[in-house]
Amino acid sequence: MLHFRVLAQRLLTRGNDYCVVTAKPLMPKHQSPSRKNALDWVGGSDAPEKSSLNIGFMALTDSASLIVAATQEFAQPYGLRLKLQRQASWTALSERLHSGELDAAQGLYGLIYAMQLGLAGLPAKPMAVLMGLAQNGQSITLSSRLQLAGVSDSEALQRQVRQVGARLTLAHTFPTGTHAMWLYYWLASLGIHPLNDVDTLVVPPAQMVDHLQAGRIDGFCAGEPWGAQAVAQRQGFTLCTSQQLWPDHPEKVLACTREFVETCPNAARALVMAVLEASRFLDANEENRRAAASLLSADEYLAAPVADILPRFLGAYTDGNGHAWRDNHRLQFCSEGAVNMPFLSDGMWFLTQFRRWGLLREDPDYAGLTSAVQQTALYAEAASQLGLAVPAVMRSSTLFDGTQWDGHDPAGYAHSFALHAMTDSRSLASC
Amino acid sequence: MRILLIDDTAQKLGRLKAALSAAGFEVIEESGLVIDLPKRVEALCPDVILIDSESPGRDVLAQVVLVSRDQPRPIVLFTDEQDPGVMRQAIKSGVSAYIVAGIQSERLQPILDVAMARFESDQALRAQLHEREAQLAERKRIELAKGLLMQLKNCNEEEAYTLMRRQAMSRQQKLIQVAEQVIAMSDMLGS
Repeated sequence: MLHFRVLAQRLLTRGNDYCVVTAKPLMPKHQSPSRKNALDWVGGSDAPEKSSLNIGFMALTDSASLIVAATQEFAQPYGLRLKLQRQASWTALSERLHSGELDAAQGLYGLIYAMQLGLAGLPAKPMAVLMGLAQNGQSITLSSRLQLAGVSDSEALQRQVRQVGARLTLAHTFPTGTHAMWLYYWLASLGIHPLNDVDTLVVPPAQMVDHLQAGRIDGFCAGEPWGAQAVAQRQGFTLCTSQQLWPDHPEKVLACTREFVETCPNAARALVMAVLEASRFLDANEENRRAAASLLSADEYLAAPVADILPRFLGAYTDGNGHAWRDNHRLQFCSEGAVNMPFLSDGMWFLTQFRRWGLLREDPDYAGLTSAVQQTALYAEAASQLGLAVPAVMRSSTLFDGTQWDGHDPAGYAHSFALHAMTDSRSLASC
Repeated sequence: MRILLIDDTAQKLGRLKAALSAAGFEVIEESGLVIDLPKRVEALCPDVILIDSESPGRDVLAQVVLVSRDQPRPIVLFTDEQDPGVMRQAIKSGVSAYIVAGIQSERLQPILDVAMARFESDQALRAQLHEREAQLAERKRIELAKGLLMQLKNCNEEEAYTLMRRQAMSRQQKLIQVAEQVIAMSDMLGS
């Protein structure tokens, strides 16, 4: 926290001069490609190009670092104000990010790469992933009706799906989104083809429990607190958590257009630093998380009871199916920086799944795309200034089915799955 | 483009209106100088205000200041006054363009274009400056509260921030709200 003190002292000693609230003394020289605004110059060459940023988020527990950073003024030392804009759906969020109405937003890997590739229902646009916001903490929920009918584990689900005339409807949160990819991966591991054997549809996360209750869906894959709320309201049970699929998997990211990061590199770096500090704060101790859960429950953020948010936020799970456990891979925001590096291999994994499920008809330039989208250099700059370790840009993971993913042969990996939709004429984008 | 025209010439020369008509502009209203120009602007919603004044006095500039404050619009001042002091005063009051001598129809379009562009960039700068000033004021309050809390709890800076943040989050508030509460409490206790 050294820089915090340095800035505070500067602020206090230099009085009214409005340009002092910048991180100038700590920022390495950075060439700004445009200097459209005279105040950029007045504020010093490393001052944020904009003094306030519109930040989009969804009503989800894993938006905590953004909500804490904005309301608890983690960006203030950099002369930056973060204005939170809650979005009703990932579709709405992607449209506003695309139009520039939002400077940056919480994002799904699957959504950001779809925007990049023109698969999100919007013209293709160069996108940027500034940092990872969180790992773990999603879940697959099935309805209590299925549970009562005896479908309370994976084997029973397999049997149910194979019965003719018992076609299930499962929801995720965006056509190409992260939750679609978790759900598809998991179903496929059970031998259930996600595009042929079940119906899938998109429902905004905060509406999942209502849809489950109304019987419009038989289950869903989404972020918390919506899985926990389904359990609390006895509408469903947790069949699987995302961290069971892939311990410490990449989850939400902080994203913006490439144009934003190119025209406002200082604001982007300051934003990453502020969110990193809020992330570190959230992982520092349970007291901080308890207080944050109370903040998240407010109407303007998640509008959900603390009792639905807090237990899983702290890693205490009950699945509504007779099991309770303390999760060793609970939702993490920082883990001393291990969460936040926008690993090339993380971004690439989603591209392999796009390829696997027929969203991409050919193998893309995996390495080229990810190194353009993942802003690893900017992240490294921000993290090292905060004294966080900067890991290598590729990482190695073992998924629950025993497969290794390290990003070194993406095309081979994409083609390695027994269940896929590569030769299908169906395109998910048109669903 | 909706134009509000203020004719402040002694004989109500009407020279500006004639030039505007010749150039194909539509004037939504023309009047002499009014006492409450912001109200007039609010009612008429002009895109630009043109003032024709042989020599802009304090009454004219006072109205310019009020409009800039309450109903900011591009204001173009046409005048015969060549005194640099008056010109400076007018610019300071908030006119976007100060045009001395000679109203030529063919020059009106570029003059208005420049005035509009100038106005927009001024407004953006003003908003940003205001935002930064507000941020700084808030930052100072938070710093003050942090200092008070450090004394009160005999703790270090980071601990003071954490205490304030936890309190703010637990009560679903922003940091600045808790900072204000700390300052108010400290005032009451007379520390």
